[in-house]
Amino acid sequence: MANILEKIVEKGHFKFVDEVPSWQEGVRLSTEPLIKTGYVTENYYQQIVDCIEKYGPYVVFEHEVAMPHTTENADGVLNTGVSFMRIKKPVSFGCDEDGNDKSARLFFTLAAQNPEEHMSNIQSLIGVFTNEPLLDALIEAESGQDILDALAANPCTEF
Amino acid sequence: MAKLDNKKLMVCCANGAGSSLMMKMTLEKVLNKHKVKPATVHHCAISEGKSAAPGFDVVLCARNFAKMFADAEKKGTTVIALKNIMSPAEMEKAMMEKGLLG
Repeated sequence: MANILEKIVEKGHFKFVDEVPSWQEGVRLSTEPLIKTGYVTENYYQQIVDCIEKYGPYVVFEHEVAMPHTTENADGVLNTGVSFMRIKKPVSFGCDEDGNDKSARLFFTLAAQNPEEHMSNIQSLIGVFTNEPLLDALIEAESGQDILDALAANPCTEF
Repeated sequence: MAKLDNKKLMVCCANGAGSSLMMKMTLEKVLNKHKVKPATVHHCAISEGKSAAPGFDVVLCARNFAKMFADAEKKGTTVIALKNIMSPAEMEKAMMEKGLLG
């Protein structure tokens, strides 16, 4: 099974930006590669934003990783995939229940239509999210090839 | 027999499509390590989970959702709220503290 990062590069679902004015704009930008390939519609991001505004920054994990997403088969989802976006300057999603800032530099934005394929994407993502050296290398990435090189140098083990 | 054998477990997040799936994988890792075989490990969205929780023995969620299970907790459901949903070590520790493992 191909690693999710290989799928991301193969589909062209990646983007590199220096900074974003807000996390909401970050979420919108992260869906752009998915819009271009017909995986989601232009307004899909708004549902993700609504969900994070309702429940808080629970989509931001350790090591400045964010996984913006909504439900399976949400309005505006046309296919199953994941986009990757690296932001040079961390963007804050606000604070958690302890008042700790939750910021992200790596966005992995989900579109879920096919349950089996989505499950396999999630399984692969957890391997990436728990691979600290790989995340460090992804923060430095500037191209699709850099993503593949980062993975080759820091292979994921099965979670 | 392990304490969680034949118990009903639920993993919950906002949508039931992202972090709850990851949390379920973390849970399965912990359960395998301790050779525990629950009756069910259900994952779902908070909208379903909130009302369904009293029917489960244990609910696992990210910390920001913990307060939504206060009623279920009063009715006897054990709530495990985690800071890092992908950390088997944190989950294992929290479950041990609640007397669910070991």
